[in-house]
Amino acid sequence: MAYALVLVRSARLSLEAFAQTTSTHPDLVRRLVALGVLDADRDAAGELWFAPSQVAVMGRVQRLRAGLGLNYAAVGLVTDLLDRIAVLEAALREARPPGR
Amino acid sequence: MPGGPRADRRDFYEVLGVPRTATQDEIQQAYRKLARQHHPDVNKDPGAEDRFKEISEAYDVLSDPQTRRRYDAFGPDFRQVPEDVDPEAFRRSRAGAGAGQADGPGGAGGFGAGPGGDFGGINIEDLLGGIFGGRGFGPIRGADQETELELTVEEAFQGGHRSVTLDGPDGRRTLDVRIPAGVTNGQRIRLAGQGGRGSDGAPNGDLYFVARIAPHPRYRVEGRDLYVDLPLAPWEAALGTSAAVETPRGEMKVKVPPGTSTGKRLRLRHFGLPHPRGNAGHLYAEVKIVVPAKPTDEERRLFEQLAAVSTFDPRRR
Repeated sequence: MAYALVLVRSARLSLEAFAQTTSTHPDLVRRLVALGVLDADRDAAGELWFAPSQVAVMGRVQRLRAGLGLNYAAVGLVTDLLDRIAVLEAALREARPPGR
Repeated sequence: MPGGPRADRRDFYEVLGVPRTATQDEIQQAYRKLARQHHPDVNKDPGAEDRFKEISEAYDVLSDPQTRRRYDAFGPDFRQVPEDVDPEAFRRSRAGAGAGQADGPGGAGGFGAGPGGDFGGINIEDLLGGIFGGRGFGPIRGADQETELELTVEEAFQGGHRSVTLDGPDGRRTLDVRIPAGVTNGQRIRLAGQGGRGSDGAPNGDLYFVARIAPHPRYRVEGRDLYVDLPLAPWEAALGTSAAVETPRGEMKVKVPPGTSTGKRLRLRHFGLPHPRGNAGHLYAEVKIVVPAKPTDEERRLFEQLAAVSTFDPRRR
């Protein structure tokens, strides 16, 4: 079985659509934006808009909270650290001389 | 049989690495440590999710003193045993059930599990709520997973398909990974929906293969550029020559100009790894002057003659 690359929808999600997609309450989503855990753009009317990539971020937030019992502020710290580790690991992989 | 008891289910104490006499504090400590280590967002290995699930299951049972007592008394099938059963009576009836039946599904000595591991309509997944589901959380998307994929230089050059076998929750699965031509070291190949399982119908995460180009006996790789040694005899390097160089596209002739020393790089433009959206890398043939380890008498005589005549001093500053 071969797998094709999947095109990610580039359309932004409104707060309600985002909350519905991730099965969360809009109030929680707003709180996570305020905590800097989720990234969102604010339009002229003050409405929040989310990039589709934030759906995966929300999944990670929910798993970390459910699996490790972290509060949302701690989840923010952990996701930042995980992102930094990912960047460092990628740099380390590039620095490792390949094919030698 | 999703959700049913697995024949290979390990002992919960063993899973948490604690003795049967462990205190509740010790159990919690062991669980917290293991959960941090194997949480699928911390540990990207495709096997981590299963391990995390196993740890969570073990903790769910052992962290509650009452379920722990029942687990101790009745073993892994304790959920099948009605609340009012005396552990001693259970042991006796189980011993009497016969060796052949005792370990099979529904072999709890006549306490009547339904077929297929369904305990009278209660599914163990429902009791535990999946890993991340039923503790007041709705459907949660599965975690992304990552695993290294070692490729040969030839595979990175040509692209192709590779069968990769991974252990997963439903046993081993074999995936056909399409390797794009020109993949470089550290690049990620995504298999959408093949990562961690989403809970309650949420989508699965993605699985990423991180390309790692394996050491090659001939080529060294730097980004998309390839380096290959070009051994030359001293007279070829001094007088110039035309030499054959192996490239992933086959053998190529390169012109070595007269007066070429060790370390000089001869470039074969765009003979390196291809670029799907741009120019291919280059191939560099690195000159390495090699002398005969055991020269013939004639060769020795000629070298001595050259040494006597030449005023060349490679160490002159």
